[in-house]
Amino acid sequence: MVTIKDHKTVKHPPQNTLLETIEQHQIEIQYHCREGYCGACRTKLTKGQVEYKTDPLAFIDDDEILPCCCFPISDIQIDIG
Amino acid sequence: MKYTTFNQVNNNPLIEPMFFGNPVNVARYDQQKHPIFEKLIEKQISFFWRPEEVDVSKDRVDFQKLSDSEKHIFISNLKYQTLLDSIQGRSPNIAFLPIISIPELETWVETWSFFETIHSRSYTHILRNLFGDPSSIFDDIVENKEIKKRAEDISKYYDDLIFATQLWQTLGEGTHTIKGETHIITMRELKKKLYLCMNSVNALEAIRFYVSFACTFAFAERELMEGNSKIIRLIARDENLHLTSTQHVLNLWAKGKDDPEMAEIAEECKEQATQIFLHAVEQEKEWAAFLFQHGSMIGLNKEILCQYVEFIANHRMSAIGLGQPFDIKNNPLPWMNNYLSSDNVQVAPQESEISSYLVGQIDSEVSAEDFGDFDL
Ligand code: FES
Ligand SMILES: [Fe+2]
Ligand SMILES: [Fe+2]
Repeated sequence: MVTIKDHKTVKHPPQNTLLETIEQHQIEIQYHCREGYCGACRTKLTKGQVEYKTDPLAFIDDDEILPCCCFPISDIQIDIG
Repeated sequence: MKYTTFNQVNNNPLIEPMFFGNPVNVARYDQQKHPIFEKLIEKQISFFWRPEEVDVSKDRVDFQKLSDSEKHIFISNLKYQTLLDSIQGRSPNIAFLPIISIPELETWVETWSFFETIHSRSYTHILRNLFGDPSSIFDDIVENKEIKKRAEDISKYYDDLIFATQLWQTLGEGTHTIKGETHIITMRELKKKLYLCMNSVNALEAIRFYVSFACTFAFAERELMEGNSKIIRLIARDENLHLTSTQHVLNLWAKGKDDPEMAEIAEECKEQATQIFLHAVEQEKEWAAFLFQHGSMIGLNKEILCQYVEFIANHRMSAIGLGQPFDIKNNPLPWMNNYLSSDNVQVAPQESEISSYLVGQIDSEVSAEDFGDFDL
Protein backbone atom coordinates (compact mmCIF):
# COMPACT_ATOMS: atom_id res chain seq x y z
CA MET A 1 0.00 0.00 0.00
CA VAL A 2 1.12 3.53 -0.74
CA THR A 3 -0.05 6.34 1.52
CA ILE A 4 0.19 9.76 -0.13
CA LYS A 5 0.06 12.65 2.29
CA ASP A 6 -2.98 14.93 1.78
CA HIS A 7 -4.38 12.48 -0.76
CA LYS A 8 -5.23 8.84 -0.17
CA THR A 9 -3.89 5.36 0.40
CA VAL A 10 -3.74 3.26 -2.75
CA LYS A 11 -2.79 -0.26 -3.72
CA HIS A 12 0.46 -0.66 -5.62
CA PRO A 13 0.59 -3.29 -8.40
CA PRO A 14 4.14 -4.70 -8.31
CA GLN A 15 4.83 -4.29 -12.05
CA ASN A 16 4.24 -0.51 -11.83
CA THR A 17 6.74 2.15 -11.02
CA LEU A 18 5.57 4.23 -8.10
CA LEU A 19 4.93 7.11 -10.53
CA GLU A 20 2.58 5.00 -12.63
CA THR A 21 0.58 4.00 -9.57
CA ILE A 22 0.23 7.61 -8.46
CA GLU A 23 -0.85 8.68 -11.95
CA GLN A 24 -3.43 5.90 -12.20
CA HIS A 25 -5.17 7.51 -9.24
CA GLN A 26 -5.23 10.94 -10.91
CA ILE A 27 -3.00 12.52 -8.31
CA GLU A 28 -0.95 15.38 -9.74
CA ILE A 29 2.75 14.62 -9.62
CA GLN A 30 5.59 16.18 -11.55
CA TYR A 31 7.69 14.34 -14.05
CA HIS A 32 9.91 15.07 -17.00
CA CYS A 33 12.30 12.34 -18.06
CA ARG A 34 10.62 9.30 -16.41
CA GLU A 35 14.07 7.70 -16.39
CA GLY A 36 15.66 8.90 -13.18
CA TYR A 37 18.01 11.56 -14.50
CA CYS A 38 16.14 14.87 -14.23
CA GLY A 39 14.82 14.96 -10.66
CA ALA A 40 11.42 16.45 -11.58
CA CYS A 41 9.57 13.71 -9.69
CA ARG A 42 11.63 14.06 -6.48
CA THR A 43 9.42 13.08 -3.54
CA LYS A 44 9.81 12.68 0.24
CA LEU A 45 9.69 9.14 1.57
CA THR A 46 8.45 9.36 5.16
CA LYS A 47 8.06 5.66 5.86
CA GLY A 48 8.99 2.34 4.27
CA GLN A 49 11.45 1.30 1.60
CA VAL A 50 11.83 1.36 -2.18
CA GLU A 51 14.27 -0.19 -4.61
CA TYR A 52 15.67 0.89 -7.97
CA LYS A 53 16.20 -1.40 -10.92
CA THR A 54 18.33 1.18 -12.71
CA ASP A 55 20.67 3.61 -11.03
CA PRO A 56 18.93 6.94 -10.32
CA LEU A 57 21.18 9.75 -11.58
CA ALA A 58 19.25 12.81 -10.42
CA PHE A 59 20.24 14.42 -7.15
CA ILE A 60 18.05 13.33 -4.24
CA ASP A 61 18.42 13.93 -0.54
CA ASP A 62 18.71 11.02 1.91
CA ASP A 63 14.97 11.12 2.64
CA GLU A 64 13.89 11.48 -0.97
CA ILE A 65 13.04 9.07 -3.79
CA LEU A 66 12.43 9.21 -7.54
CA PRO A 67 8.97 7.69 -8.15
CA CYS A 68 9.57 7.42 -11.92
CA CYS A 69 12.08 4.64 -11.47
CA CYS A 70 11.53 3.16 -8.01
CA PHE A 71 9.47 0.25 -6.81
CA PRO A 72 8.14 0.03 -3.24
CA ILE A 73 9.35 -3.06 -1.35
CA SER A 74 7.18 -2.42 1.72
CA ASP A 75 4.16 -0.32 2.58
CA ILE A 76 5.29 3.25 2.17
CA GLN A 77 4.27 6.80 3.04
CA ILE A 78 5.20 9.63 0.74
CA ASP A 79 4.75 13.40 0.56
CA ILE A 80 4.64 14.82 -2.94
CA GLY A 81 4.49 18.39 -1.58
CA MET B 1 49.68 27.85 -9.39
CA LYS B 2 50.86 27.24 -12.94
CA TYR B 3 48.66 24.91 -14.95
CA THR B 4 50.24 21.77 -16.31
CA THR B 5 48.71 19.53 -18.95
CA PHE B 6 50.21 16.47 -17.31
CA ASN B 7 50.87 16.81 -13.61
CA GLN B 8 54.00 14.76 -12.75
CA VAL B 9 53.10 14.49 -9.06
CA ASN B 10 51.95 10.95 -8.35
CA ASN B 11 48.87 12.10 -6.49
CA ASN B 12 45.82 10.09 -5.49
CA PRO B 13 42.78 11.41 -7.40
CA LEU B 14 40.49 9.68 -4.91
CA ILE B 15 41.41 12.22 -2.25
CA GLU B 16 41.53 15.32 -4.45
CA PRO B 17 38.71 17.88 -4.19
CA MET B 18 36.63 18.45 -7.34
CA PHE B 19 38.31 21.84 -7.89
CA PHE B 20 41.54 23.60 -6.94
CA GLY B 21 43.52 20.52 -5.94
CA ASN B 22 46.28 19.03 -8.12
CA PRO B 23 45.70 19.28 -11.86
CA VAL B 24 44.48 15.98 -13.31
CA ASN B 25 47.13 13.71 -14.80
CA VAL B 26 45.95 10.25 -15.88
CA ALA B 27 42.52 10.14 -17.52
CA ARG B 28 41.34 7.02 -15.73
CA TYR B 29 37.79 5.99 -15.00
CA ASP B 30 38.27 2.60 -13.33
CA GLN B 31 37.95 4.34 -9.98
CA GLN B 32 36.15 7.52 -9.14
CA LYS B 33 35.98 9.83 -6.19
CA HIS B 34 32.48 10.88 -7.27
CA PRO B 35 31.04 8.05 -9.42
CA ILE B 36 28.01 10.17 -10.38
CA PHE B 37 30.06 12.05 -12.99
CA GLU B 38 31.12 8.82 -14.67
CA LYS B 39 27.46 7.77 -14.82
CA LEU B 40 26.47 11.13 -16.27
CA ILE B 41 29.13 10.77 -18.98
CA GLU B 42 27.75 7.36 -19.94
CA LYS B 43 24.18 8.62 -19.98
CA GLN B 44 25.05 11.72 -22.01
CA ILE B 45 26.96 9.70 -24.60
CA SER B 46 24.01 7.32 -24.90
CA PHE B 47 21.92 10.38 -25.88
CA PHE B 48 24.11 11.18 -28.88
CA TRP B 49 22.18 12.68 -31.77
CA ARG B 50 22.80 14.68 -34.93
CA PRO B 51 20.63 17.64 -35.98
CA GLU B 52 20.62 16.43 -39.61
CA GLU B 53 18.77 13.30 -38.53
CA VAL B 54 15.68 15.38 -37.86
CA ASP B 55 13.65 16.35 -40.90
CA VAL B 56 12.74 20.01 -40.52
CA SER B 57 11.67 20.59 -44.14
CA LYS B 58 7.93 20.76 -43.34
CA ASP B 59 8.60 23.60 -40.89
CA ARG B 60 9.32 25.93 -43.80
CA VAL B 61 5.72 25.63 -44.95
CA ASP B 62 4.41 25.99 -41.39
CA PHE B 63 6.52 29.08 -40.78
CA GLN B 64 4.80 30.92 -43.63
CA LYS B 65 1.47 30.26 -41.94
CA LEU B 66 2.48 31.93 -38.67
CA SER B 67 1.29 35.43 -37.85
CA ASP B 68 3.92 38.17 -37.58
CA SER B 69 3.75 38.11 -33.79
CA GLU B 70 4.22 34.34 -33.82
CA LYS B 71 7.17 34.65 -36.16
CA HIS B 72 8.68 37.15 -33.75
CA ILE B 73 8.21 34.68 -30.89
CA PHE B 74 9.68 31.78 -32.81
CA ILE B 75 12.74 33.60 -34.14
CA SER B 76 13.49 35.49 -30.94
CA ASN B 77 13.52 32.25 -28.99
CA LEU B 78 15.92 30.69 -31.43
CA LYS B 79 18.20 33.70 -31.09
CA TYR B 80 18.17 33.48 -27.31
CA GLN B 81 18.85 29.76 -27.38
CA THR B 82 21.67 30.33 -29.83
CA LEU B 83 23.18 32.78 -27.38
CA LEU B 84 22.85 30.36 -24.44
CA ASP B 85 24.45 27.49 -26.29
CA SER B 86 27.19 29.70 -27.71
CA ILE B 87 28.15 30.46 -24.13
CA GLN B 88 27.72 26.92 -22.86
CA GLY B 89 29.62 25.34 -25.74
CA ARG B 90 32.83 26.96 -24.57
CA SER B 91 32.58 28.35 -21.06
CA PRO B 92 32.48 25.24 -18.89
CA ASN B 93 35.65 24.13 -20.67
CA ILE B 94 37.50 27.40 -20.32
CA ALA B 95 36.37 28.23 -16.79
CA PHE B 96 36.31 24.82 -15.12
CA LEU B 97 38.85 22.57 -16.86
CA PRO B 98 41.94 24.49 -15.68
CA ILE B 99 40.87 24.14 -12.04
CA ILE B 100 39.35 20.65 -11.98
CA SER B 101 41.24 17.97 -10.05
CA ILE B 102 39.45 14.69 -10.70
CA PRO B 103 39.34 12.91 -14.07
CA GLU B 104 35.65 11.94 -14.05
CA LEU B 105 34.58 15.55 -13.55
CA GLU B 106 37.04 16.78 -16.16
CA THR B 107 35.61 14.40 -18.74
CA TRP B 108 32.04 15.15 -17.71
CA VAL B 109 32.61 18.87 -18.38
CA GLU B 110 34.12 18.12 -21.78
CA THR B 111 31.23 15.81 -22.67
CA TRP B 112 28.66 18.34 -21.45
CA SER B 113 30.18 21.18 -23.46
CA PHE B 114 30.44 19.01 -26.55
CA PHE B 115 26.69 18.43 -26.45
CA GLU B 116 26.13 22.17 -26.22
CA THR B 117 27.96 22.47 -29.53
CA ILE B 118 25.51 19.96 -31.02
CA HIS B 119 22.73 22.27 -29.83
CA SER B 120 24.39 25.22 -31.52
CA ARG B 121 24.76 23.27 -34.74
CA SER B 122 21.09 22.35 -34.62
CA TYR B 123 20.06 26.04 -34.63
CA THR B 124 21.96 26.54 -37.85
CA HIS B 125 20.20 23.46 -39.24
CA ILE B 126 16.77 24.88 -38.28
CA LEU B 127 17.46 28.42 -39.51
CA ARG B 128 19.10 27.38 -42.76
CA ASN B 129 15.99 25.39 -43.55
CA LEU B 130 13.75 28.39 -42.91
CA PHE B 131 15.76 31.13 -44.58
CA GLY B 132 18.41 29.70 -46.84
CA ASP B 133 20.73 32.44 -45.64
CA PRO B 134 20.26 32.96 -41.91
CA SER B 135 23.03 35.59 -41.55
CA SER B 136 20.73 38.42 -40.52
CA ILE B 137 19.33 36.30 -37.68
CA PHE B 138 22.77 35.45 -36.34
CA ASP B 139 23.99 39.02 -36.78
CA ASP B 140 21.14 40.34 -34.66
CA ILE B 141 22.21 38.23 -31.67
CA VAL B 142 25.06 40.66 -30.97
CA GLU B 143 22.85 43.70 -31.70
CA ASN B 144 19.57 42.87 -29.99
CA LYS B 145 19.50 44.61 -26.62
CA GLU B 146 17.16 42.11 -24.93
CA ILE B 147 19.58 39.33 -25.79
CA LYS B 148 22.70 41.31 -24.95
CA LYS B 149 21.36 42.10 -21.50
CA ARG B 150 21.06 38.39 -20.77
CA ALA B 151 24.42 37.60 -22.32
CA GLU B 152 26.12 40.00 -19.96
CA ASP B 153 24.51 38.56 -16.87
CA ILE B 154 25.38 35.02 -17.79
CA SER B 155 28.93 35.55 -18.97
CA LYS B 156 30.05 37.86 -16.16
CA TYR B 157 30.38 35.09 -13.55
CA TYR B 158 32.32 32.95 -15.97
CA ASP B 159 34.53 35.84 -17.05
CA ASP B 160 35.22 36.83 -13.47
CA LEU B 161 36.31 33.33 -12.53
CA ILE B 162 38.38 32.91 -15.69
CA PHE B 163 40.25 36.18 -15.14
CA ALA B 164 40.95 35.46 -11.46
CA THR B 165 42.16 31.96 -12.37
CA GLN B 166 44.52 33.43 -14.97
CA LEU B 167 46.01 35.82 -12.43
CA TRP B 168 46.40 33.00 -9.94
CA GLN B 169 48.06 30.75 -12.53
CA THR B 170 50.54 33.38 -13.64
CA LEU B 171 51.14 35.48 -10.52
CA GLY B 172 49.91 33.33 -7.64
CA GLU B 173 48.05 34.50 -4.56
CA GLY B 174 48.53 38.11 -3.55
CA THR B 175 47.50 41.62 -4.46
CA HIS B 176 48.15 42.33 -8.10
CA THR B 177 47.84 45.62 -9.93
CA ILE B 178 47.03 45.19 -13.60
CA LYS B 179 46.55 48.30 -15.77
CA GLY B 180 45.91 50.40 -12.69
CA GLU B 181 43.33 48.02 -11.24
CA THR B 182 43.96 46.12 -8.03
CA HIS B 183 42.99 42.46 -7.78
CA ILE B 184 43.18 40.50 -4.55
CA ILE B 185 43.76 36.85 -5.35
CA THR B 186 43.38 34.39 -2.50
CA MET B 187 42.25 30.78 -2.60
CA ARG B 188 39.16 31.79 -0.63
CA GLU B 189 38.25 34.46 -3.19
CA LEU B 190 38.83 32.06 -6.07
CA LYS B 191 36.57 29.48 -4.48
CA LYS B 192 33.87 32.08 -3.90
CA LYS B 193 33.99 33.08 -7.55
CA LEU B 194 33.74 29.42 -8.49
CA TYR B 195 30.75 28.96 -6.18
CA LEU B 196 28.88 31.93 -7.64
CA CYS B 197 29.73 30.89 -11.18
CA MET B 198 28.41 27.38 -10.57
CA ASN B 199 25.18 28.84 -9.21
CA SER B 200 24.81 31.04 -12.26
CA VAL B 201 25.37 28.04 -14.55
CA ASN B 202 22.92 26.00 -12.52
CA ALA B 203 20.26 28.71 -12.89
CA LEU B 204 20.96 28.85 -16.61
CA GLU B 205 20.48 25.12 -17.09
CA ALA B 206 17.52 25.12 -14.67
CA ILE B 207 15.23 27.81 -16.05
CA ARG B 208 16.72 29.90 -18.81
CA PHE B 209 15.56 27.56 -21.54
CA TYR B 210 12.05 26.94 -20.31
CA VAL B 211 10.23 29.97 -21.71
CA SER B 212 11.42 29.13 -25.18
CA PHE B 213 10.78 25.41 -24.67
CA ALA B 214 7.20 26.25 -23.70
CA CYS B 215 6.69 28.31 -26.88
CA THR B 216 8.17 25.59 -29.07
CA PHE B 217 5.94 22.94 -27.57
CA ALA B 218 2.90 25.21 -27.74
CA PHE B 219 3.47 25.40 -31.51
CA ALA B 220 3.83 21.62 -31.61
CA GLU B 221 0.54 21.22 -29.72
CA ARG B 222 -1.04 22.91 -32.76
CA GLU B 223 0.96 20.58 -35.04
CA LEU B 224 3.15 23.45 -36.21
CA MET B 225 6.93 23.54 -36.49
CA GLU B 226 7.17 19.90 -35.44
CA GLY B 227 10.66 19.33 -36.82
CA ASN B 228 11.88 22.13 -34.63
CA SER B 229 10.00 20.68 -31.68
CA LYS B 230 11.65 17.31 -32.19
CA ILE B 231 15.07 18.97 -32.05
CA ILE B 232 14.12 20.97 -28.96
CA ARG B 233 12.99 17.77 -27.23
CA LEU B 234 16.44 16.29 -27.82
CA ILE B 235 18.02 19.48 -26.49
CA ALA B 236 15.73 19.51 -23.44
CA ARG B 237 16.74 15.95 -22.63
CA ASP B 238 20.42 16.99 -22.63
CA GLU B 239 19.72 20.12 -20.58
CA ASN B 240 18.04 18.04 -17.91
CA LEU B 241 21.22 16.04 -17.55
CA HIS B 242 23.38 19.17 -17.40
CA LEU B 243 21.17 20.51 -14.65
CA THR B 244 21.50 17.27 -12.73
CA SER B 245 25.28 17.64 -12.86
CA THR B 246 25.35 21.20 -11.50
CA GLN B 247 22.90 20.21 -8.77
CA HIS B 248 25.23 17.38 -7.79
CA VAL B 249 28.25 19.69 -7.67
CA LEU B 250 26.42 22.24 -5.52
CA ASN B 251 25.07 19.62 -3.17
CA LEU B 252 28.38 17.78 -2.81
CA TRP B 253 29.84 21.09 -1.67
CA ALA B 254 26.98 22.16 0.58
CA LYS B 255 26.76 18.79 2.31
CA GLY B 256 30.47 18.74 3.04
CA LYS B 257 31.07 15.71 0.81
CA ASP B 258 33.94 17.32 -1.07
CA ASP B 259 36.01 20.36 -0.08
CA PRO B 260 35.15 21.47 3.49
CA GLU B 261 35.98 25.08 2.62
CA MET B 262 33.36 24.98 -0.14
CA ALA B 263 30.78 23.92 2.48
CA GLU B 264 31.61 27.08 4.45
CA ILE B 265 31.39 29.20 1.33
CA ALA B 266 28.05 27.66 0.39
CA GLU B 267 26.72 28.70 3.79
CA GLU B 268 28.28 32.15 3.60
CA CYS B 269 27.09 32.89 0.05
CA LYS B 270 23.62 31.38 0.27
CA GLU B 271 21.92 34.77 -0.04
CA GLN B 272 23.98 35.64 -3.12
CA ALA B 273 23.15 32.26 -4.66
CA THR B 274 19.45 32.90 -4.04
CA GLN B 275 19.71 36.32 -5.67
CA ILE B 276 21.43 34.88 -8.74
CA PHE B 277 18.55 32.46 -9.16
CA LEU B 278 15.82 35.02 -8.53
CA HIS B 279 17.44 37.42 -10.96
CA ALA B 280 17.40 34.74 -13.66
CA VAL B 281 13.69 34.19 -12.90
CA GLU B 282 13.04 37.92 -13.34
CA GLN B 283 14.91 37.99 -16.62
CA GLU B 284 12.93 35.05 -17.94
CA LYS B 285 9.70 36.82 -17.08
CA GLU B 286 10.93 39.93 -18.87
CA TRP B 287 11.76 37.71 -21.79
CA ALA B 288 8.17 36.46 -21.86
CA ALA B 289 7.00 40.10 -21.93
CA PHE B 290 9.37 40.86 -24.81
CA LEU B 291 8.16 37.81 -26.76
CA PHE B 292 4.51 38.72 -26.44
CA GLN B 293 4.88 42.47 -27.01
CA HIS B 294 3.25 42.23 -30.45
CA GLY B 295 0.57 39.77 -29.34
CA SER B 296 0.46 36.30 -27.81
CA MET B 297 0.04 32.92 -29.42
CA ILE B 298 -2.72 30.33 -29.11
CA GLY B 299 -2.37 28.35 -25.90
CA LEU B 300 0.13 30.68 -24.27
CA ASN B 301 0.29 34.18 -22.88
CA LYS B 302 2.68 36.15 -20.75
CA GLU B 303 0.91 35.49 -17.43
CA ILE B 304 0.79 31.74 -17.80
CA LEU B 305 4.41 31.62 -18.93
CA CYS B 306 5.50 33.65 -15.90
CA GLN B 307 3.62 31.26 -13.64
CA TYR B 308 5.35 28.36 -15.32
CA VAL B 309 8.75 29.96 -14.74
CA GLU B 310 7.89 30.34 -11.05
CA PHE B 311 6.68 26.77 -10.85
CA ILE B 312 9.87 25.42 -12.40
CA ALA B 313 11.98 27.74 -10.24
CA ASN B 314 10.39 26.37 -7.05
CA HIS B 315 11.39 22.86 -8.04
CA ARG B 316 14.89 23.78 -9.10
CA MET B 317 15.62 25.99 -6.12
CA SER B 318 14.46 23.44 -3.56
CA ALA B 319 16.78 20.88 -5.17
CA ILE B 320 19.77 22.95 -4.08
CA GLY B 321 18.45 23.89 -0.66
CA LEU B 322 17.14 27.37 -1.55
CA GLY B 323 13.52 26.63 -0.62
CA GLN B 324 10.41 27.37 -2.68
CA PRO B 325 10.04 31.16 -2.82
CA PHE B 326 6.94 31.25 -5.04
CA ASP B 327 3.34 30.49 -4.05
CA ILE B 328 2.41 28.51 -7.12
CA LYS B 329 1.65 24.85 -6.34
CA ASN B 330 0.19 23.36 -9.54
CA ASN B 331 1.83 23.11 -12.93
CA PRO B 332 0.12 25.72 -15.15
CA LEU B 333 1.31 23.95 -18.33
CA PRO B 334 0.84 20.24 -17.59
CA TRP B 335 1.18 19.24 -21.27
CA MET B 336 4.82 20.37 -21.13
CA ASN B 337 5.68 17.18 -19.28
CA ASN B 338 4.80 15.02 -22.29
CA TYR B 339 7.39 16.86 -24.36
CA LEU B 340 10.02 16.71 -21.65
CA SER B 341 9.80 12.97 -21.09
CA SER B 342 12.28 10.62 -22.72
CA ASP B 343 9.58 8.33 -24.12
CA ASN B 344 9.60 8.31 -27.91
CA VAL B 345 12.15 11.09 -28.10
CA GLN B 346 14.57 9.01 -30.18
CA VAL B 347 14.57 9.94 -33.84
CA ALA B 348 12.64 7.29 -35.76
CA PRO B 349 14.74 6.04 -38.70
CA GLN B 350 11.91 6.42 -41.23
CA GLU B 351 11.66 10.11 -40.35
CA SER B 352 15.35 10.77 -40.69
CA GLU B 353 16.80 12.52 -43.64
CA ILE B 354 19.19 10.15 -45.30
CA SER B 355 22.22 11.93 -46.63
CA SER B 356 21.30 11.43 -50.29
CA TYR B 357 18.00 13.16 -49.59
CA LEU B 358 19.88 16.02 -47.96
CA VAL B 359 21.93 16.45 -51.11
CA GLY B 360 18.67 16.49 -53.10
CA GLN B 361 17.30 19.14 -50.78
CA ILE B 362 20.23 21.47 -51.30
CA ASP B 363 19.89 21.12 -55.06
CA SER B 364 16.14 21.66 -55.12
CA GLU B 365 16.55 25.35 -56.00
CA VAL B 366 18.24 24.40 -59.26
CA SER B 367 15.98 25.13 -62.21
CA ALA B 368 15.27 22.96 -65.24
CA GLU B 369 17.42 25.12 -67.53
CA ASP B 370 20.46 24.20 -65.49
CA PHE B 371 20.12 20.73 -66.93
CA GLY B 372 19.84 22.01 -70.50
CA ASP B 373 23.07 20.40 -71.60
CA PHE B 374 22.36 17.06 -70.00
CA ASP B 375 21.51 14.17 -72.25
CA LEU B 376 19.75 11.42 -70.35
S1 FES C 1 10.89 12.10 -13.93
FE1 FES C 1 12.99 12.53 -14.21
S2 FES C 1 13.84 11.71 -12.40
FE2 FES C 1 11.78 11.09 -12.26
FE1 LIG D 1 22.38 23.39 -24.65
FE1 LIG E 1 23.16 22.71 -21.14
